[in-house]
Amino acid sequence: VIRIEAITITQFRGIRDLTLKFDGNSFAICGPNGTGKSGVVDALEFVLTGNISRLTGEGRGDISLKQHGPHVDMRNNPDKARVAVAISIPSTKKKAVIYRTLKDPANSYLEPADPDVIDIVKQVAAHPEVVLSRRELIRYVLATPGKRAEEVRALLHLDQIEQVRAGLQKIANGCEKELKLLVPGTAQLRDNLLRAAQIPELTKEKLLAAANAQRALLGLPILSDMTESTSLKEGMSITAAASPQSVPKRQAIADIGAAKEILAEFVGAGNTTLVAQAISDLNSLSADPEIAVGVKNELFFKTGIELIQGEQCPFCDLPWDLSALKSHVQEKMERMREASQKRAAAEAKLAPIILTLRKMQAAINALANHAALMNPVVPMNKGHEFAEWCGSTLKRLAVLMPVDETVSILSKVLNVPGSVVEDIDRLKIAIDALPEPTKQDAARDWLTITQERLENWREARRKEVACNERTKRARQVSDIYSQTSDAALGAIYAAVEKDFSALYSFINRDDEDKFRAKLLPSMGKLGFDVDFYGRGFFPPGAYHSEGHQDGMGLCLYLALMRHVQGSGFTFAILDDVLMSVDIGHRREVCALLKSEFPNTQFVMTTHDPIWLRHMKTEGLIGPRSGVHFRNWSVDHGPTKWDDRDVWMEIEDYLNGNDVRAAAALLRHYLEYTAAELCHRLRAVVEYRADARYQLGELLPSAVSRLQGLYRKAKDAANSWNQKDIIDQLGTRHSEFSDRLKTSHAEEWQVNSAVHFNSWDNLGKEDFQAVVNAFRELLDGFGCSECDTYFRVLPDRETPEALRCDCGKANINLRKKETAQ
Amino acid sequence: MLTIERGFMTQDSTSSTASGSTTDIPTQVFEQFLQALHGAELRPEMIARLHKTLLQDKNFTEHALKDAVLSEEPLP
Repeated sequence: VIRIEAITITQFRGIRDLTLKFDGNSFAICGPNGTGKSGVVDALEFVLTGNISRLTGEGRGDISLKQHGPHVDMRNNPDKARVAVAISIPSTKKKAVIYRTLKDPANSYLEPADPDVIDIVKQVAAHPEVVLSRRELIRYVLATPGKRAEEVRALLHLDQIEQVRAGLQKIANGCEKELKLLVPGTAQLRDNLLRAAQIPELTKEKLLAAANAQRALLGLPILSDMTESTSLKEGMSITAAASPQSVPKRQAIADIGAAKEILAEFVGAGNTTLVAQAISDLNSLSADPEIAVGVKNELFFKTGIELIQGEQCPFCDLPWDLSALKSHVQEKMERMREASQKRAAAEAKLAPIILTLRKMQAAINALANHAALMNPVVPMNKGHEFAEWCGSTLKRLAVLMPVDETVSILSKVLNVPGSVVEDIDRLKIAIDALPEPTKQDAARDWLTITQERLENWREARRKEVACNERTKRARQVSDIYSQTSDAALGAIYAAVEKDFSALYSFINRDDEDKFRAKLLPSMGKLGFDVDFYGRGFFPPGAYHSEGHQDGMGLCLYLALMRHVQGSGFTFAILDDVLMSVDIGHRREVCALLKSEFPNTQFVMTTHDPIWLRHMKTEGLIGPRSGVHFRNWSVDHGPTKWDDRDVWMEIEDYLNGNDVRAAAALLRHYLEYTAAELCHRLRAVVEYRADARYQLGELLPSAVSRLQGLYRKAKDAANSWNQKDIIDQLGTRHSEFSDRLKTSHAEEWQVNSAVHFNSWDNLGKEDFQAVVNAFRELLDGFGCSECDTYFRVLPDRETPEALRCDCGKANINLRKKETAQ
Repeated sequence: MLTIERGFMTQDSTSSTASGSTTDIPTQVFEQFLQALHGAELRPEMIARLHKTLLQDKNFTEHALKDAVLSEEPLP
């Protein structure tokens, strides 16, 4: 989407004032630990996204962006801490500058603020994954499947997909739960209706026949059909009954019969067995403390996850990471699956008991209503208490927890008090004593009560049908979503898996060219197995070395990014990644980045100068596309190995009469530069496996090599009969020899008196002469026009030329071939 | 040193930014999902409501989804 042209960082993290020019190219920042490399990474991330993940990531609760983002001396002036980047947008060929201050991290400022530029900048801000550190690299490879899925989901922006999946599932589950509660209620109302109508089953024909029989007794017209709005008592006058009674005798007798049946069913053998089994299940739950805790906690977490909302904990008011907390709780619930299964089994056994309790409660309440309408009122205190007990018990059993209490309740649940039966019998006697109604009064009662119960049942049925329709719809939508998203994600993972395997094979083509990997998505997790030399698929950490794992992390990241951003993957920051990759494979990594991602600008950090050199020699970065930090101080921030700055700094030390500091800096700079010269000139240096070369081992080799190259160039010019060039080379060589003589550099290997260790003992004026001499000597290694050191080309095989970067110096090293 | 003479503020909003990204995977998945709903012959009004919730409003809360899936009201 964008490329970075330059960055200016002011009073930000450990940086006081720093400008780096990338010119839209890949760029490397090298330097020992603690020299400010990460400050540049933080600045890039901040200006592009408004965040510094290093400060706001996991476990950084006490660190804040605004407070700790500015330079430590500017922590109370976040407005002074700012980062500006010049960007180019390849797709529109536009350029813009973005800047952001830590006073207002959420907003960036743009110039020009064209709508398309704003859109692009917003796109970049939505992709904080452009920054990859080694910490994050390993998260993709060595994480647990659940954690890895989370990381990959975040990188692929899949959180929204999962949020919708969870939402739709919850809606469908909620509908099913609601339906489950409605069904027994409707069934109960249907039983009430059947009892009132005195018919064995609820069919239109049977109800119509029963109603017409009653209507005939009242001389009412026959109902020919029954629709949803048909009233059984249609046309019935409101005239008073011949022998008015507040209690419909026949109905009351039917209800008493039904209540007794339910009571008998409740204490019957079927329920006795069920209760015994449920008690046994629950006892096995409470016997295993771990499962008992699991069951208890599962309910707690299940409730908790529904209550996790807002941006802070409701108890302590500390801010929390909502999604991290939710997934943490989800993980715990996963672990409680066994407890959950046992709980479900116990619940299944309790369900019929709960249903019977509900029916019993309704039946006793109906009798209590009849009793209250009697004249005089028939007391049903025990029956009333029992109905209330049924209500509270069924609620208690539905909750299940604590298990011990549930077991205690269950062990007594079938003991229906005898006083309840006595209350019912008393009511039965009172009802039986009522005079028999006339046939017409009984018919009137029948039509009134049956119609009332029919309406109740119809209303419940309507609700149940509507709920059923909603449930089916919600489940269908949820299932379709799961199928669609699973298929889409499966395709994504398959593509990423293929790309990852190809990328990893590329960097390990010497011995793992047939490498394959498997990304295995399942139930919110993402397994990741890799082939180990054809011996099978294993987790990456099982057999592969750390260096290989680093390589896998990078390749997985690159494959994911290529999938997320496609052609828009034009910029990425690789912060200290691949440190454990060996030298051979680093070259391959450079080649991979260069050949597979030619349109991506990589900004890379490393503390290893050899790695930096690899990037240059492999052409991943240009000769000037790198910066080498040499040290850092809290007052000045990072200091670059910049020629001009170094000489000025030495000058400053000498002006302050600090020869020791000036000598130390000159020594370090010469070591750094001599290594660079040996590399550029392909000088021969005694090999050291630890790569810790001293100045005395490097500079004489560089000197000797340049002199040798001049001689070789003169020989070549001579073969081509180029007298002018021979003269020019002679002058160059002679000038260089003079500079060398002044510096005494050649004598270092043999003359310890002029060894740099004795510089500390020199006076200011004496050391100034040494500084001047070495400055002159180093200038002799390069071009005065472009200010770069000479380089031998090509960098392998037979040397052909000695050149500077601008091409002004272009010295031929190849002799004219003579005919045999 | 990079300087800006005139600054223009852009409100960063992660909820709206993803819309313009090169390959917005969630949007692709939502589009495929809505397409599959059409194929399943579900109510067109419900599909229209889900389209609005997921692709226009980008509101992924359970409440918004419930309104879209279970609401009986036709779209205005």
